Amino acid sequence: MNVSSVPPGAEGQPPRSGSRSEAGSGRETEAAQLVELMTLSSRGHEEAFAELYDRTSQRIYGIILRVLRSPDHAAEVMQEVYVEVWRQSARYSSGKGSVIAWMTTMAHRRAVDRVRSVSSEVARDERYAYHGGDREIDLVWDGVEQRLDVERVRKGMASLTPIQREALTLAYFGGYTQSQVAQLLKLPLGTVKTRIRDGLIGLRDALGVEA
Amino acid sequence: MSEIHGAVGSYVVNALDPDELEEFEAHLAACPTCSREVREFAETAAELSLLASAPPPPPALRSSILAAISEVRPLPPEPPAETVAAESAPREVVAAPTAGRPVDELALRRQRRRTRILSVLVAAVVAAALALGGVVYGLVNARQVQVAQQAAETELLTAPDVKTYSATMKDGGQISFVVSKSLDRAMFIGRDLPTVGADRTYQLWTLEGQRPIADNVVPGGGDRKEFFRETLDGVTGLAVSVETAGGAQQPTPSTIQVVTEL
Repeated sequence: MNVSSVPPGAEGQPPRSGSRSEAGSGRETEAAQLVELMTLSSRGHEEAFAELYDRTSQRIYGIILRVLRSPDHAAEVMQEVYVEVWRQSARYSSGKGSVIAWMTTMAHRRAVDRVRSVSSEVARDERYAYHGGDREIDLVWDGVEQRLDVERVRKGMASLTPIQREALTLAYFGGYTQSQVAQLLKLPLGTVKTRIRDGLIGLRDALGVEA
Repeated sequence: MSEIHGAVGSYVVNALDPDELEEFEAHLAACPTCSREVREFAETAAELSLLASAPPPPPALRSSILAAISEVRPLPPEPPAETVAAESAPREVVAAPTAGRPVDELALRRQRRRTRILSVLVAAVVAAALALGGVVYGLVNARQVQVAQQAAETELLTAPDVKTYSATMKDGGQISFVVSKSLDRAMFIGRDLPTVGADRTYQLWTLEGQRPIADNVVPGGGDRKEFFRETLDGVTGLAVSVETAGGAQQPTPSTIQVVTEL
């Protein structure tokens, strides 16, 4: 009898090469490889898509779980997002930005849609139980690995004013609408809108992001 | 700068309220400055997402997603012309094909709006069907079964104690058993299974010690997911064999494909 079993998680994934982006050219190589994988996926290559999944899933899952908090919801949205990436793969072109930005945009939007669709129920009360201060930010920053990229982003965030940082964090990681952010921070809506945009401008410039 | 430009940051982080979203999207389609900022901010937000540290996704989610995509056909590319945009938008838009992204997002949103409309229609059809005595009942019921199946899968895949046992069958087929003892359930996942002939089928077995108990059958060929019918009480192993169509009460020893001990 052919008894063969392997421990959980070891599913014969292909070895990864450079799946963690380094600074500079490593990052560009990684970005180019993701474009290639996306192109192959659009032609129906499931192995290429599996590779794309392996290279991006930790990051995509990270943002989805961060917004939703619930692993159950996160798994469902994760499945939705990747099936949609597969379906839309021929609609991606490098003119639309990087693969990771395209995927992150889709993932964040779906996660936020899910938050809003459940937030009329119990979840809303829980989510509104915001205790002020930097709690939301602490949660984000706790346990962040000291990787080079993360460090860059962290420094970028640190260069913002506290209100810019808080407004951006609540909107992006908290999944709140700008009106909710305004309520939470007890600021006028117009101010919050401006701070979110200024925060993104500050972070963009600190990171030297080009599009 | 007009006030509507100021909404671009909130737009990218999906923080606009619904009424303002419609207004901004209408503006975005015709504003190259905002389109550019949307692209830059989307790249920036992707970097920001790095701060969302999380445990790796559950391994079983990978199998589930890869099984799911094999049943979905990728859409064809968009027609090359962005001529519609070119006619109504300023010249810069034509010069920068990158202006396609917001259009793309718009299309996505419209599509989702259509989906919402569709679900309203479905609800109406269901109501009508109930009134007419359930002509469509079978159809609706099938959909409910599918939804229930999906929910059961998600529950299993995200169970805290979920374990995946991957194995290669004798005939070369790649399979996994996804098992959660706390939920008392197991699922079979086959990737790109070999075909076994029209009069044959894969059959799942639970093993209680040396005693095999016949479980569900799974057709050969393609990607397959199937829950085990039996719960895991007393079960020490899972197995797959090839049997004549319809399944057998005892496995045929020579056709046993794989046995996995739990």
